[in-house]
Amino acid sequence: MLTLYHWEPNANSGKPMLALMEKGVKFDSHYLDLLNFDQHSPDYLKINPNGTIPALVHDDLMLTESTAIMEYVDAAFPGPSLTPEDPVERWRMRWWMRFFDQYFAPSLSMIGWQVFVGPSVRDRDPELLKAAIERIPLKERRIAWSKAIYNTFSPEELAESRRRVAVGTLCLEEALSERPWIAGPTYSLGDINGFNLGYALPLAQPLLCNDEKTPHIMKWLRAIYARPAAKATWTMGRTQMAQRITFLES
Amino acid sequence: MLELYHGEPNIFSLKPLVVLQEKGLDYTGHYVGPLDFDALPAAVKAVMEVRHNPEGDGPVLVHRDVAMTESFFIALYLDDAFADVPLRPRDASGRWRVLMWGRFVNEVLAPSVTTLGCHKHLAPLLKTRNRDEIAQRIEAMPTEERREAWRAALDDTYSADLIADSRRKIGLAIKKVEDALAAGDWLAGPAYSLVDIDVFALLAPVPALAPDLLDGTTAPRTSAWLARVRERPAVVAALAKSRTGAPQESFVPGPEHSRWG
Repeated sequence: MLTLYHWEPNANSGKPMLALMEKGVKFDSHYLDLLNFDQHSPDYLKINPNGTIPALVHDDLMLTESTAIMEYVDAAFPGPSLTPEDPVERWRMRWWMRFFDQYFAPSLSMIGWQVFVGPSVRDRDPELLKAAIERIPLKERRIAWSKAIYNTFSPEELAESRRRVAVGTLCLEEALSERPWIAGPTYSLGDINGFNLGYALPLAQPLLCNDEKTPHIMKWLRAIYARPAAKATWTMGRTQMAQRITFLES
Repeated sequence: MLELYHGEPNIFSLKPLVVLQEKGLDYTGHYVGPLDFDALPAAVKAVMEVRHNPEGDGPVLVHRDVAMTESFFIALYLDDAFADVPLRPRDASGRWRVLMWGRFVNEVLAPSVTTLGCHKHLAPLLKTRNRDEIAQRIEAMPTEERREAWRAALDDTYSADLIADSRRKIGLAIKKVEDALAAGDWLAGPAYSLVDIDVFALLAPVPALAPDLLDGTTAPRTSAWLARVRERPAVVAALAKSRTGAPQESFVPGPEHSRWG
């Protein structure tokens, strides 16, 4: 039995979705609506007590952390390998996944939560929202949701996030100007990770990321979206957020 | 040829030193003291993964003309490239557990232990030096994140809240280690592994930094495990690379505490 609990093909949820699709592994998809707080519902907390998505249930094993789930998927199932054979490329794949997960993504995500997630849920019944926040198991996630809903981001932390997104974009452009894929000559989990983080970067940050300033990023995004597995993954989206991706066809 | 640029055998530098010893690999070591700001060759310093090293001034492994940073990933690299003496489970779920520990150490334990260590050891050390000269060195560092981290040490601006939160996170880590050791002698399964090396490197200085959090009474299994790891010949050999005689007092700023969720 293989069940993936996920939201839209976006950020963390999209990583194991695309990895499973690339390998051609069949899985049961269980969609959780992040904006409806499905991930903090009692039924889901029985599966993943931390209330985070995505989670992968493989027989009696419950796996969390999207990047580690991808490495598990690649090691546990047949299909094309998404981890380079060369140990140096493997090191580079992991280094970049950490850069994406711990430097680039938190800053991009803070901006995304401020401009999209917060406004999407803010107008609901205040009592319901308060109860929804109180149900969140992890302290860090409670703080994040509370900031998004009540829009209590400080100007300093938003400015710092914007600065970091600019730095991350330049680093990524530099890396992709030296090699076709993030780890080297082969497409890997690192590209899947980076694509989920950055596919909408040209829309969200048009002044930073575009055909003139970051041609290598643009070429890389289009090359990944041209893969059948990516097309199949993004058709699993249910909102306009996922549908935006078609701009990469141009 | 393998070359390792490393500091005192503590925290990040200790990990590759132990792995190299466990695997019996020949390498050339380059010792970098905590305030040797210009120790790396220009060609190494120019590499993006060195400039943006999340561990800042952590170790750099040079192999096959590639400069690699991030001590846990260096350890995985050595285990991939020199697989004769395996230091990881072979099955997918065992390897997932190794990665989960690595992420936890990186995100929770590493920023917290280095915060306490820099407050207690690096900040006083910097006060004994010429402040203007150190400040100039800091301004020449390649990223704003590193400059911020060093400025905090230079001015010792670690707030009471940050210290308290660091202690809370170290407490969580010790609880996790106590729980894991209830099932056996080692952290990631029946055999000693990279996880034991990774966690040991971060927890070894804690009994001195926060004695109330980690001693034989508050965390008996963790204390016994620390002693078990410390007895391994490879760990003894790695710790013998110390030039100060007190490796567990040697700190440079580590990775950042999470800014968001």
